[in-house]
Amino acid sequence: MFMLPQLKVIMEKSSELNKAGSRSTSSLPPEPVDIIHSKSCYRRVRLNVGGLPHEVLWRTLERLPRTRLGKLRECSSHESLMEVCDDYNLEENEYFFDRHPGAFTSILNFYRTGKLHMMEEMCALSFSQELDYWGIDEIYLESCCQARYHQKKEQMNEELKREADNLKDREGEEFDNTCCAEKRKKLWDLLEKPSSSVAAKILAIISILFIVLSTIALSLNTLPELQGTDEFGQSTDNPQLAHVEAVCIAWFTMEYLLRFLSSPNKWKFFKGPLNVIDLLAILPYYVTIFLTESNKSVLQFQNVRRVVQIFRIMRILRILKLARHSTGLQSLGFTLRRSYNELGLLILFLAMGIMIFSSLVFFAEKDEEDTKFKSIPASFWWATITMTTVGYGDIYPKTLLGKIVGGLCCIAGVLVIALPIPIIVNNFSEFYKEQKRQEKALKRREALERAKRNGSIVSMNLKEAFARSAELMDVVVEKSERPQDNHLSPSHWKWTSKRAASETSSNRSFNAQELGSPCEARATSPQRLNVEKLEEMYSQMAKTRSQPNLNAKDRGSRAGKQRDEIELGTIQNHGPLALGVGDMKSLSSIDSYISCATDFQENPRFPHSPAPELGLQESSRFTFGPATGLSQHNSTKVGQQLLGQYESMLTSVSKSTCSENPRKFFFSGNSSKSLKGGCCSDGDSGPSPLSDSSVLSDHSLLSPEVSVYTTASSRTPPKSPESTAVAPTVFTFHDSSISKYIDADTDDDEHLRDNNEASPSERLLASASPKRSINIHYQRGTNHLEAAQKMLGQNCLFPTEGIRGKTHGNHIGPEMTRRPKVERGRQNPLDKSL
Amino acid sequence: MWTVPRPKYRSGLNEEKLTVNIGGVKVVLYGDDLKRYPDSRLAELANCSTQNVELLSSLCDDFDPGRNEFYFDRDPDSFKCIIDVYYFDEIHIKTGICPICFIKEMEFWKIDQSVLDECCKSYLSEKEQELREIANKVKVILEDMDVDQCITRTQRCQRFLWKLMEKPGSSLPARIVAIASFLSILVSAVVMCVSTIPELQVTDAEGKLVEHPTLEAIETACMLWFTAEFLLRLASSPNKLRFVLSIMNIIDFMAIMPFYVVLSLTYLGTTSMMELVNVQQAVQALRIMRIARVFKLARHSSGLQTLTYALKRSLKELGLLLMYMGVGIFVFSALAYTMEQSHPETLFRSIPQSFWWAIITMTTVGYGDIYPKTTLGKCNAAVSFLCGVIAIALPIHPIINNFVVFYNKQKVLETAAKHEVELMELKSGRQARRKSDE
Repeated sequence: MFMLPQLKVIMEKSSELNKAGSRSTSSLPPEPVDIIHSKSCYRRVRLNVGGLPHEVLWRTLERLPRTRLGKLRECSSHESLMEVCDDYNLEENEYFFDRHPGAFTSILNFYRTGKLHMMEEMCALSFSQELDYWGIDEIYLESCCQARYHQKKEQMNEELKREADNLKDREGEEFDNTCCAEKRKKLWDLLEKPSSSVAAKILAIISILFIVLSTIALSLNTLPELQGTDEFGQSTDNPQLAHVEAVCIAWFTMEYLLRFLSSPNKWKFFKGPLNVIDLLAILPYYVTIFLTESNKSVLQFQNVRRVVQIFRIMRILRILKLARHSTGLQSLGFTLRRSYNELGLLILFLAMGIMIFSSLVFFAEKDEEDTKFKSIPASFWWATITMTTVGYGDIYPKTLLGKIVGGLCCIAGVLVIALPIPIIVNNFSEFYKEQKRQEKALKRREALERAKRNGSIVSMNLKEAFARSAELMDVVVEKSERPQDNHLSPSHWKWTSKRAASETSSNRSFNAQELGSPCEARATSPQRLNVEKLEEMYSQMAKTRSQPNLNAKDRGSRAGKQRDEIELGTIQNHGPLALGVGDMKSLSSIDSYISCATDFQENPRFPHSPAPELGLQESSRFTFGPATGLSQHNSTKVGQQLLGQYESMLTSVSKSTCSENPRKFFFSGNSSKSLKGGCCSDGDSGPSPLSDSSVLSDHSLLSPEVSVYTTASSRTPPKSPESTAVAPTVFTFHDSSISKYIDADTDDDEHLRDNNEASPSERLLASASPKRSINIHYQRGTNHLEAAQKMLGQNCLFPTEGIRGKTHGNHIGPEMTRRPKVERGRQNPLDKSL
Repeated sequence: MWTVPRPKYRSGLNEEKLTVNIGGVKVVLYGDDLKRYPDSRLAELANCSTQNVELLSSLCDDFDPGRNEFYFDRDPDSFKCIIDVYYFDEIHIKTGICPICFIKEMEFWKIDQSVLDECCKSYLSEKEQELREIANKVKVILEDMDVDQCITRTQRCQRFLWKLMEKPGSSLPARIVAIASFLSILVSAVVMCVSTIPELQVTDAEGKLVEHPTLEAIETACMLWFTAEFLLRLASSPNKLRFVLSIMNIIDFMAIMPFYVVLSLTYLGTTSMMELVNVQQAVQALRIMRIARVFKLARHSSGLQTLTYALKRSLKELGLLLMYMGVGIFVFSALAYTMEQSHPETLFRSIPQSFWWAIITMTTVGYGDIYPKTTLGKCNAAVSFLCGVIAIALPIHPIINNFVVFYNKQKVLETAAKHEVELMELKSGRQARRKSDE
């Protein structure tokens, strides 16, 4: 409730009359006195989290003063309150948080009981995000729930890592800086990506046919009926089959050479396991020819023959070439590589069993007449054949004791082999599924690439570019110590995005410095042991502001690792921060933004910092150029409109009221009427808390949206100093791990359909089932934008211009009126009596 | 008050109503329902008068006399389950609530755990079991960590030795010791096998084949290493009785013992205190015992430990497997014997002899040394083979399941224990700091 001070007295007297009073319709924040008064009036507080009301004692919240809810008690001004919660109503003593209500129950219980448990059905990742938001360290999780939580989290991290690796591989295929890049790219696509065109598909099929043909020829060659005899009386190849062989080898060689020539990275190509197999399939033939030709009439013919025989055997390797064309074979290879632990276990079990049973049977059968168990190593064979239940019958026990041992051996063999197999099978099926999924994603991605090349899309995907670069930071940062081999030249960066990025980066690093200093001041934080590290990191960050090229990578990795510490550190900050850079949770992601942003700035001198560059390559595709015919869709329009609005707002601001908090303008600008008109056509499909993920994804999308605005705004030539100050504040409303969500979304990020009618639920469905998600992106784009606007509208402060203020009321109204008004104005008598 | 018994359906107004507010959720309760469990918190609340502020504040967190509403700062979800006890006399845990957490809530409401229904109890006990395992792991980790508690020098030496021998992860020397012992096991096992190859044996003075001297030397060296290792372990172990009783150490002992027995027997044999033939027979028997050293590998492989654990846990299923096999063997060998009687050159001479055939057929090994020759016998063989596959496949599934579960759990518990230790460190650190602040 926000009332004008002169009205205040009346309001208190007759609070019943002001039921409909909403904060945003009136224009001034409440005085700190009012806030303190309201807090002292009640022993309890109502917390509305995502629509679910909770009631809790202030005393309970004070148990953890450094968390978000703990801070709520300390807040005494409007600004600080707004940093902690999303909305509040002093009249009803109610504070609103726009978060997932399910997780909040367990978090509130943590305050009550001191034990942090996790709801069973809750996704571990989403829970960890909630914990981040509420400022609770995951380490407090009770051990009964911890096992599940960490298992899930590690699994997810692994998956993300793999995804990032894949992405990197794909992004590594860049054709620049050399001659006829265009043609080579085409050739590469033709040979390596069978799904890219019909010709490529046909080529792949021909290749498979050649492999099959050559293997058949190889086998037929050994039939005695088809072999001829040479002058030495040795059997030689059938001449017809030799021709077939030659043709096949010629094809393989040509294929390999073309691949090699067209490959973007020669060394990487040479190293690839599939290409090694190819080489091994071709080489033996040439070596054989070379050897036989050079030693035609020389003495050591027999030796050469033996060598040639060995190389002939190696020809059989060509059957492995099929792996290139079969996902199943590839995942088999991956599985074996991944489950070498279990395979080792299997072999260990078998070896032990063989050793035990063969020695037992040896001692049992030793004294038998002409026994075949002559020694323990000799009976190894028997034990192996028995344990695997093959049972050739060339050796079998004859004594009673030997037979008993044999029976035990059979049963033990069945058991021992069966045990580790399910684990391997599990690995395999997991991997196979993953592989399939990725193949599909790849296809979609390629479709998008093609569309882009044809010029049918001018992308509005800058937000995704940002999201992905941030995501990659999260993931790749851990391994950034590793030397990178894909040297990518950033020379092809489009100047627009680069410049925009560098400008925002300066904003952000400035911001980070502002954030950094209070953290340094609190260096004696009792919460964590490694405060020194944190401090060090921040000082380094401050340094890099002045020299952005200096080990940005290193800092980035630190940022990733120290995320928890940062959060903890910032939570301790009780008072409002100076520049309105409030939201604690945004800090860490600001870090990752900074680190990627500074890398944008850094130059070809740093060819190996994988993540940011990838992000850039992404973003380089997304230009702000004028959209052309087909590609134009609503969100672009809205975006531009918005941009224009925003610009004008900013300039007007800089002229008139420089002292005002620019954030307010920013938000009010966003939710201004004209913009609403732009995208309110599908207003009824606004974000509704259908499920966790829809709510969360709305949340998560905020930041990239916003970053689009910021980059756009700072790009505009008439740049005023105020506009730079805007940038940091926009990060206030997103949470630290947004980027992950966005990455999940970007799988289906491609598609051109001018359709705004999709609701979040549809989007949810789409992201859940990849099959359905074809061409969803555009609807999503608009939805996001709209969702973002709604959020901004809800969260916005008081617009200085009354006209715009009206639009906010619409958003907040329903939320507020839903609350039962029973508690309103109630004094607590027990409070006094006690 | 012995007036007219109240009607079953509540009149509403006369009823002693109790409005409670559990973390924002309001529930209206009736006093006589609550009094069915007089020890519970709500019953005490119903009994206590609103004037007794002292008692009231100990029972609930807040009281609103205007609306006669009691406020509790507790989890409303759990309360919704717990309130069922007053109506149905039993409690079911709502899916999604962690049972440990739920038990804490029940303790707050002063309701006995016994009212929890059986179906949820098993779930609870499962969780508790897991917690116990984690606690054990934590204890082990903590034991490893507190090094400096030993006062005397001998104790410190003992502790150092113990860590060196038992905890390969604790230091580099310990790791080296573990690897050396692993290699010596492998070498001794290989030597044991190789020494039986006739080509590598030498004839002694009496024309008998004995082991090659070099192999024997290696064997002796390995044995000395094993002995030294065992003795060091024994000397350094903090609890001697537990050490002697543990399975791994018994295996160790079994691996060492034959060597010394053989040594002493041959000594006795040469000094002709015993007959030479007896001695040689005993030596032969003891040689088989050498196989025990292969089991020593289990100390170095967590996979093998899991296997033994899983087998121990699934003894029942193993019994089932053996029983199925036994029944199958009896039935099919008897059938095969009778059916093959008609053939003049039958290979099935007696039922016990055809046991062997039945085993080999049912496990699908099929050596081919005994096989049926009549048509009926062949049909019987086909059926027995099918039955064998089923008899093995059915009970083996739970065993495999046990194994997989333990295998996966091992990893999870490991991380959980680590986090637990971290948490404890954090808490103790904070307490220490708080004390120093004061």
